Amino acid sequence: MTELARILVPLAVGLPAAGALLIAFSRSARLCDNVARGAGVLAAAAGLALAAVALAGDGPASGHWYVVDGAGGLLLGVTAGVGLVSVLVSPGYLRSAGRSWVSSAAAHRLYYVALLAFWSALAACALAANLAVAWLIVEATTAASALLVTFSGSRGALEAGWKYLVLTTLGLSVALLGIIVLAVSQAKLGHHGLHALDWRAIHSAAPLLPRHTALFAFVLIVVGLASKVGWAPVHNWLPDAHSEAPAPVSAMLSAALLPSVVLVAWRARTALGAGLGAEAGSTVFIGFGLISILVAVPFLWKRLPWKRLLAYSSLEHMGVIALGIGFGTPLAVAGVVLHIAGHALAKALGFYASLPLLRGDRRLGHVAPSGVAAGSPLTASAMAVSLISLAGLPPSPLFISELLILLGGVAAGDVAVVVVAALALALGFLGLVHVLIEGVLGEPGAPRHAAGAHAPTHGGGQRTLALSVGLAAAGLIALAVCGVALPGSALIGGLMRGVG
Amino acid sequence: MNGVLVSAILLLALATVSVRRRSVAIAAVGLQSLLLGAGALTLVSGRSSGYLVASAVLAVKGVVAPALLYALMRQTREPRLVIAAHGPLVRLALTTAAALLGAVLTPSLGLADRHVERAAVALLVIGIMIVVLRRPALHQLLGLLVAENGLSLLAVSVPGGLSYVVELGALLDLVLVATVAGAFVHRIHLEFGTGDTEQLRGLRD
Repeated sequence: MTELARILVPLAVGLPAAGALLIAFSRSARLCDNVARGAGVLAAAAGLALAAVALAGDGPASGHWYVVDGAGGLLLGVTAGVGLVSVLVSPGYLRSAGRSWVSSAAAHRLYYVALLAFWSALAACALAANLAVAWLIVEATTAASALLVTFSGSRGALEAGWKYLVLTTLGLSVALLGIIVLAVSQAKLGHHGLHALDWRAIHSAAPLLPRHTALFAFVLIVVGLASKVGWAPVHNWLPDAHSEAPAPVSAMLSAALLPSVVLVAWRARTALGAGLGAEAGSTVFIGFGLISILVAVPFLWKRLPWKRLLAYSSLEHMGVIALGIGFGTPLAVAGVVLHIAGHALAKALGFYASLPLLRGDRRLGHVAPSGVAAGSPLTASAMAVSLISLAGLPPSPLFISELLILLGGVAAGDVAVVVVAALALALGFLGLVHVLIEGVLGEPGAPRHAAGAHAPTHGGGQRTLALSVGLAAAGLIALAVCGVALPGSALIGGLMRGVG
Repeated sequence: MNGVLVSAILLLALATVSVRRRSVAIAAVGLQSLLLGAGALTLVSGRSSGYLVASAVLAVKGVVAPALLYALMRQTREPRLVIAAHGPLVRLALTTAAALLGAVLTPSLGLADRHVERAAVALLVIGIMIVVLRRPALHQLLGLLVAENGLSLLAVSVPGGLSYVVELGALLDLVLVATVAGAFVHRIHLEFGTGDTEQLRGLRD
């Protein structure tokens, strides 16, 4: 595994970066599209191969700068898969995007350079063997993704991009304060330099750290990262950024960025675990998880524009993942792994479905859809598959993952938290089913409210969408089947020994 | 680090939250970065080369960033005064209270000099308060720089220095974020005719 990883790691990170570099010097929009497609296919092949190596391997492989383990492999796979589809659907988005805040000649270049740089940073984040380097990479994703969020140049996009940039930068400053506190503690133990902040070095030193210092650093790091994950109550940027960004970017933000940052927080918990005590680390994650779910659920009952609804669903699902990490039992960890994969697939499909939806009726950027099936059955089927999966309706893999996480919570003895979370998730489920019935399958309302009733897709677009829905549905069912076998597997055993 | 220098750095941060003119605020943050750079240089002798890197980092923040922000300010002239939600004295009082609270409540971070720890945390809090209390986008960008200077003050005081990879990486990230933020400020002016972030309140549920 180590030899293969040594070859694939630079490819998984370097290929999207090389693609961005090539596009920066490409003159025509068509050339940009083609280079992005080529770079995307190659980068996805490298990323998926490395993910397969990591998930099938018998233990983590590590180098001077990287660690390839099960959790990192999972995120690499998610980033590669979603990144590839986002790149492939981007030419269609760019053709119909209308306006951008840069000139049309530069728009393609800016878009692809930022998208591929973002992809490269996400891949590097999953592999980073060092807390400070992981922080630098997470911060680096901010600039690229903020540019993408504001790509349309509309007032809403500017507002979303500004909020995202300012709030996440301030949050990450708090996380950096925690990292410096940890660096000071390591220096006092005689560990200096960058490698004192390697996950392994922190893990080794954690039992020797004063408990209050370890706890203070941990809380600062996780609270800071929470602003980037979008965990409530520091989630204000999330609904705006996800709803205003181009759909392929929203898919990357929700499916890949948020869980990648969660992974850094998870690794911090594992590394500092021995210095925190049994309860402290769990409490922080469970707190963020529960608050996020409780804040998200009322919005799942509101008549919101499609992408905004998906954004609040992201808040809910990041909360579920936080709960699973907080419970920390083998069942819960199996649930977390399955949830990250299932959420990525279902959410990405939901955002891609917004492309034909918004092409058909631009008002749907600002109003809730209504009776989409009547005008565009294919778009409606994509939305329905996404909604059914996100709601956790069997046989969705998210049904199994939520069940695993809640059972894991019972096994951890957090019964009260499990009860509250189960009730909130049930309400969230009902909210999304309500959207499915009213917004997707229901009758179109009065003309003013019947947004989406006439959102046709044509020719090649229809074939691509039909294929995407079929593949996504098959993938979701396959994940559900795999999910049943996850508890007790070698992958979960490896993750229980520690991420990073 | 010299106590007078640290006090001056703190006072300049407090000035940024209360001054009206953007040019004065830019000058205050630039001077603050320069003083921080000078302070880092006094720690160099016989210590890690990381301090030299930190000094170079801070010099860039003290000279290049303010020059670019000044150019940005010239391109984004405000047609009229952006009305503040709170007067300068109220802003100063609120920020001072928050900074004192942050500094007092923060447990020991393990540095030899407790004053530096408290000053660094106070700077981070002041940066956050600038973003919260100031409405012009350019002032909010300056708030990010003040918060970053608080972290730099702490970083240069780590025994043996923080790794130069982290120092330079953080600088690169800051340059990227500030560049994108600068571009946004410019665009916000073009779109809204003002840099008043009160205009950015259209997205609601």
